[in-house]
Amino acid sequence: MASAAVTCSAGAARRMLLLPPRPTVTLLRPSVPVTRSLSTTANHSSVCRHSHTQQQSIRSRHIRPESQRTPASQLQTRAYHSHDHPAPPRPFTEAETTLLSAALQHVPEHGFGPEALAHGARDVGLLDISAAVLPDGPFSLIRYHLYAQRTGLAAKKDDLFQGTEAIMTVSEKVEALTWARLRGNEVIIGKWQEALAIMAMPSQAPTAAKELGCLADEIYYLAGDLSVDPSWYTKRASLSAIYAATELFMTTDRSPGFQETRAFLRRRLDEASSLGGAVRSVSQWLSFTGSAAVNVLRSKGVRI
Amino acid sequence: MATAAARQAMSRPSLLRIIPRPRQQQQLISLRFSSSSSATSSSPPKTPEYAIPDPSRPTHFGYETVTEAEKRKRVAGVFTSVAESYDRMNDLMSFGWHRIWKDHFVSTLNPGFSPLSGSSPSGPQHILDIAGGTGDIAFRMLHHAHVVNANPSVRVTISDINRAMLSVGKARATTDLPASQQEALSFVEANAENLSQTRPLQPILSETEQTFFDPATATSGIPDASVDLYTVAFGIRNFSNIPAALREAHRVLKPGGVFACLEFSKADKWTSIFESLYKEWSFRAIPLIGQLVAGDRDSYQYLVESIERFPSQEEFRDMIVDAGFVVAGKGYEDLTGGVAAIHRGMKPRK
Repeated sequence: MASAAVTCSAGAARRMLLLPPRPTVTLLRPSVPVTRSLSTTANHSSVCRHSHTQQQSIRSRHIRPESQRTPASQLQTRAYHSHDHPAPPRPFTEAETTLLSAALQHVPEHGFGPEALAHGARDVGLLDISAAVLPDGPFSLIRYHLYAQRTGLAAKKDDLFQGTEAIMTVSEKVEALTWARLRGNEVIIGKWQEALAIMAMPSQAPTAAKELGCLADEIYYLAGDLSVDPSWYTKRASLSAIYAATELFMTTDRSPGFQETRAFLRRRLDEASSLGGAVRSVSQWLSFTGSAAVNVLRSKGVRI
Repeated sequence: MATAAARQAMSRPSLLRIIPRPRQQQQLISLRFSSSSSATSSSPPKTPEYAIPDPSRPTHFGYETVTEAEKRKRVAGVFTSVAESYDRMNDLMSFGWHRIWKDHFVSTLNPGFSPLSGSSPSGPQHILDIAGGTGDIAFRMLHHAHVVNANPSVRVTISDINRAMLSVGKARATTDLPASQQEALSFVEANAENLSQTRPLQPILSETEQTFFDPATATSGIPDASVDLYTVAFGIRNFSNIPAALREAHRVLKPGGVFACLEFSKADKWTSIFESLYKEWSFRAIPLIGQLVAGDRDSYQYLVESIERFPSQEEFRDMIVDAGFVVAGKGYEDLTGGVAAIHRGMKPRK
């Protein structure tokens, strides 16, 4: 088994592992000119994102000429940031957005429930019954909060990095962005435990988990992570777990400015990176030993 | 029953025959519809021609094509004939599951909910239950509003075109409901395509009396922007002109009011095996149960055919949007793999 994995080509391994599409890197095709304008690039966003100011480093990956691309209409949307797939439709209609954003103002006082929705409806001149049009009732409100906070991260990015973007490492940026997202829960933190309980209900859990995955993807995207190896998955999975744990920790944190939560987040991220380093070392050793074993066998005349 | 022989001939369709015919009808609906969608996107909502009831326009009655006036008359016949056994038949046909759907329908609408702080600026809630006949939805609404949400100011009006169905509802209300809820309940006879002509329920005095509402006898009407919640459960597919009824719903609702419809739909959301089992059950078992229990095979044959002919979830959602409502998310919720679906729309504030 090990030998098969070692000898097959990188492309085949990518297909076997169902990895995300590999961005075309400048080094591979130096002769192809950059033909796509920035506005076209922005149209190729994904489920998790709608409009972004994009980093030059990410933009430079778009070097395939337009003619080589499949038209966006023929492609399916993707649940991660993809420059090659069309943007999905907005998950909330205009009427929903108006009602939900008004209702969100009442959450710190009334919680994620019908009270906040009814107050929000009154604020925008609707009726107490108007919230009945929402497909999932109070969960719509939670989903809207998650969505608004997630898509709001892109706008906060410049403030966070303040021109130090070039010298910050990806993991520093991930920490800053995760912290910024957690601060987004600050105003409603008193009601967040009930929201987490609703999100854990079997009928809502898949949506909540998907939203968490999108958040991890958003953070890594904004941090400028360009990995296209299996760590694409492990990074997102570990960040999702860390984020969920920290979010829960934050609901019971009474320290000023949520310092305890900040420290908790840093410890978890450090652990993940040291664990990630250990895993990397082990897998490097395994792959070296494996290829050495194959070579030894080949030298003995075994056809592998 | 001049066409009884013709209907008898159609009463045992094979599955092969079932499939293509509804497609033709769906096409008819979508054609009628697409011609209008561009017109309605420009702001002043002018009533398109297809949404004005016309007694001579062809529509469908089960798999037959009849005029709108003829359909109205025949639907009246169907429901007059099944009124007495209607609730029992519902239980038998759906294994009692229709109660779950109806409970879900009512509890997700949460009628009568009002936050404790501050009284509602829009006054007490008024719920209009169209095609409410035997009161299944209306009684649940009253219970939810008065008992669960402790809001006794909520009023419910049951409207139906058929006095036989309303009379069953009225009789049930007097035996089943507490006095306070009976107070808040009223019964009117009306055609859902024109709610400006209604009259309070008149008791049926003789067997031979026409049970079908005649607009000429109207004494009152439902004014514009007077209703908070408009519900129609398992009724809208029997309407002769659905676009007209949707526009009438839009007229009577207050801005911010909610249109909610529970209706049979396309059961293709799970697997094709489930769908074909469901079709076998509808086309073979339901008319038979109707014959044995209600003594009326034709009416239940019509029922299953009308379900088959009703537009899909997406098409019906588009019809609701076309009538001027706004929807949230995809605009509908499938129940039991799409056997039934709840469509909701809100009348936007101008």
